[in-house]
Amino acid sequence: MLLETLFGSKNRERILIYLQARDEGYAREIARFYNTDYYPIYNQLAKLEAGGVIVSRKVGRTIVFQFNPRYALLAELRALLEKALSFYPENLQEQLIRNRRRPRRRGKPE
Amino acid sequence: MKPIQEMNQAELAAFVQEHLRAREIEVVLSGGAVVGIYSDGKYVSKDIDLVNAQFVERHRIESAMQEIGFIPVGRHFEHPNSDQIIEFPTGPLSLGSDKVTQINEIMMETGILRTLSPTDCVKDRLSHYFHWGDQQCLVQAKLVAANHLIDFNDVRKWSMREGKGDAYEEIKEDIE
Repeated sequence: MLLETLFGSKNRERILIYLQARDEGYAREIARFYNTDYYPIYNQLAKLEAGGVIVSRKVGRTIVFQFNPRYALLAELRALLEKALSFYPENLQEQLIRNRRRPRRRGKPE
Repeated sequence: MKPIQEMNQAELAAFVQEHLRAREIEVVLSGGAVVGIYSDGKYVSKDIDLVNAQFVERHRIESAMQEIGFIPVGRHFEHPNSDQIIEFPTGPLSLGSDKVTQINEIMMETGILRTLSPTDCVKDRLSHYFHWGDQQCLVQAKLVAANHLIDFNDVRKWSMREGKGDAYEEIKEDIE
């Protein structure tokens, strides 16, 4: 993967790219998207949260994660992730972006 | 030395900082506890957030804290003689994308307390209000602003850098 060398973990890259594309997500959903195991994804989410990169909130019984808007390097990290995402295979980009929850201006293609 | 059970929050924070400093671990008080200091006790937080701004390994902090009787409980520390909870959030010491450059030092009976300036404390509280809509944090920012000289021009510019210039304009009459 593109950023695995930098991040030191394939799953960490997967999570950050997922959040970049969709703004938020929960462990089981992210694991299902990448067709991988739940616990390695959950562990990486916990590490990213402990480091202040992401934050979580409870929605019912689900813990939903998103970028921490107070993280000092957020703008730089998201710029890096956006560029990395643009280098991903088109089909993966489409799958990630298809369900992106970020509000989109009316008239913009989905 | 004053016993831990008799220390107020700021004294306990200073005591812990002094102990860690002797082991070359520098941490800075941030979060709600700073409001307690700058609001003359009108606000009381149960948490002491000591930002690990120099990225010291967790095991070094743990062993230093255990020397003074603190027990690790998950990500925070508790002491049998205190109801205060101490956490060491990972650095950098920042207010959004801005690095904190001014650290205030306050002499306490239990040691030197290193903490945010009143202006940075206001920014820290406003950051919670801007990003999470936390009304309590807005109240805390107002408490600090009412008790201290704040560089509001700096706060306004910071709000703009955070993309929250409009949000600041909406509350500035209440706070300035």
